[in-house]
Amino acid sequence: MSRSCFPQYSVFTGTAPISSLERFINHSRKYCVRLVRRTLLVLLLPFTANATELSLSIADVVAPDFSARGITLLLPASGSADLRITELHVQRRSLLDVRIHCAAFALSTASVSCHGGSLAQLPGMLVQFDYRFDTASWQVSAQLRNVPGKQLASLLPPDMPPANLPLPGQGALTGTLRVSGNASAVDAFDADMQLTDIGFSDASGLHAAEKLHGTVKLAATRKAALWAWQGHIAWQSGEIFWQPLYLRGGHRISASGSLDGASLKVEQAVVDLPETGRVQFSALWDMKQGALAECAAHGSDLALEKLFTDYAKPFLDKGALAESHVYGHADADWQYRNGATQSLRLVLRDAGIADEGQRFALLGVNSEIDWQADAPRSASIAFAGGALLGVPLGAGQWAVQMRSMDFSVAQAALPILDGKLELRDFRLHREGAAWQWQFGASLSRVSMEQFSQAAGWPKMLGSLAWRIPKVSYDGNEINIDGALLFNVFDGTVVATQLKLVNPFGRAPRLSGNLNMRELDLDLLTHTFSFGNMQGRIDADVNNLELQDWQPARFDARIFSSAGNYPRKISQKAVQNISALGGAGAVAAIQRSYLRFFENFGYERIGWSCVLRSSVCTMGGVDGGDSGAYTIIKGGGIPAITVMGYNRNVSWNELITRLKRVTQGNMQAIVK
Amino acid sequence: MRALIKFFIALFALTAALNAFAAADLEVNTPGINAIKQSMQARHAQLAAHYSSGAVGLTADGMIALRDAGAVPLAQRQAVNALVAAENNDRNALYAEIANANGHPEWQGEIRSTFAQRWIQRAQSGWWVQSGGAWKQK
Repeated sequence: MSRSCFPQYSVFTGTAPISSLERFINHSRKYCVRLVRRTLLVLLLPFTANATELSLSIADVVAPDFSARGITLLLPASGSADLRITELHVQRRSLLDVRIHCAAFALSTASVSCHGGSLAQLPGMLVQFDYRFDTASWQVSAQLRNVPGKQLASLLPPDMPPANLPLPGQGALTGTLRVSGNASAVDAFDADMQLTDIGFSDASGLHAAEKLHGTVKLAATRKAALWAWQGHIAWQSGEIFWQPLYLRGGHRISASGSLDGASLKVEQAVVDLPETGRVQFSALWDMKQGALAECAAHGSDLALEKLFTDYAKPFLDKGALAESHVYGHADADWQYRNGATQSLRLVLRDAGIADEGQRFALLGVNSEIDWQADAPRSASIAFAGGALLGVPLGAGQWAVQMRSMDFSVAQAALPILDGKLELRDFRLHREGAAWQWQFGASLSRVSMEQFSQAAGWPKMLGSLAWRIPKVSYDGNEINIDGALLFNVFDGTVVATQLKLVNPFGRAPRLSGNLNMRELDLDLLTHTFSFGNMQGRIDADVNNLELQDWQPARFDARIFSSAGNYPRKISQKAVQNISALGGAGAVAAIQRSYLRFFENFGYERIGWSCVLRSSVCTMGGVDGGDSGAYTIIKGGGIPAITVMGYNRNVSWNELITRLKRVTQGNMQAIVK
Repeated sequence: MRALIKFFIALFALTAALNAFAAADLEVNTPGINAIKQSMQARHAQLAAHYSSGAVGLTADGMIALRDAGAVPLAQRQAVNALVAAENNDRNALYAEIANANGHPEWQGEIRSTFAQRWIQRAQSGWWVQSGGAWKQK
């Protein structure tokens, strides 16, 4: 090391022990790396009448990442010392007019120390440092009393803290900081800080905190390249937004572990989550990869509601789960290794899930699930009840086979109202990023009366029963293979080629065909208070497409069923059918002699509607595509024939008219 | 004469090319589009204040983005994030549905850019819009 790397001194005076000063400077020279001397001035010596004072001025000290200009060390005879640096640059940070005052400054052949030191820039901070020449060991400690976090942050080098972590912009710190080391490195660090109203934010505002109150204790000691640390954080109040999490005070964490250049190890940690419970974990963080290498976590009797809302839901940005509430309590054991979950053991106690849209709910779930990534397992899941599309489900118990990310249930029953939904070969598995599922199902006879009430529909009679060979979901579409058969209104409704695209999106699209046979008109008209009709009717609704559960397209046709049965229609029903064509048609009937009859006979009913672009193009019994059409062809005595005149009507208008009619707002005006 | 024929052929080709997309009916109405529009209208009441404050801006690709989270109180940042995500889901669905309703799913890209210009044109003064990759206040 060349001599020129250290500022030279040449003149000294006063009462300071010269040999120790010399030794101090010589010693420091050993550790100077590449200081470049610019100028050296040593001045001197104003002796006063009754005090001896040494003043040492060093003009510039320049080194990579470090420079100081205008350094003055003033050593009054009182034992104190004043160090003044006009301009200090550490890495890319600059400080002007740095003044350090040591109440007690001692310099001996063995050591140099400054006790009761204060910095003009940080009025609330008392600094102390000791340095031993023989061992080159040093210790710096600081006592902070309401030191603004902002000022403290300004002293940190620009690459601290790492990973662009935001620094405090508001608030103050009180407590002690102690750092010690030797010539080569820092070997101990100790902090015990109380945070008052601390706030920070990064430039994007996505990592920010306000009004943080709490205590932070951290102690770390180094042995060779390994740091052993233990810390305790009690976060009492305030709020943090760390995209996408938003958390409030009440958290506590105690942890200990080690740190080497490559990884951060948490040997054991205990975290208290407010209103949730206590989680213990150990973890290994790979600092080079910036990823979790290993983790084992355990929680007992965790309150699932808060756990899900605060810590899981923010990560789910769409889908039904993101709009759900979770209830109950659980014990959990989680093992993570090699970039994947190795095992998860869950004990659910009275747990439940319900989505905000009231589409599904499963409540009172009790189960012990012991899932392993590399071994098949089975679990028994018992539940007390639930709901599906507003229809209540009864209690049940399912045996689930688990094989990695493949879950299956061979057979399961789900009680629905007075019937039962039986599932067969249910399978849920993950293909790439998407979850897919499929099952076969049959519904044993459910009373239509109860079902329609539960679903909020008009009260319908009859029963509901169907059997589906296979329902499957590929991550985007739900497909139903085979036919759904409903037994309603003493007839049958068969739904085929049903497909539901984007089921969990804003506008789910359902397509398929509905074919109804021999529906009892008496039951049907009774249900929808349409006036009475007797007879049987077939209906086909083909090429049906519902968007957001509203018809967007279909080819519909209603026609009298084949066979012999009584065919009668009441005057009110005639009026109502006519009213669908507009008010004029109703008036025409009311003016005629037909008003004297309660019921009429008919031979055939036929009506069709082709819906395209919100317009329904209608036709009657005999087809044809222009002019008037026959909706009801009269027969018997007294007979009535109802004609339609307008072939095109807006779908919304037709629905409005139908609602008016079925809600009974239609007053019969008999003149 | 040949020049005249060429001119007409060129004119026809140009008109046809323009019509290929000009035929897209952006006001087309289906129940699906209605559902998305209603959802967006309901959300707009919540978003309007954030457009005005500059927290949320309109992007050049027909979406919205959180441009200055600092303009939102800390406790509401998560909710605003969720609003932005939900609005963008709806916007993506809207462009796809309009393309579908026109019978041309492949027009989605053009429909999106037409809407992007429209949203930005209709933005109130003071709102932030993206232009040429940078944010500008209208």
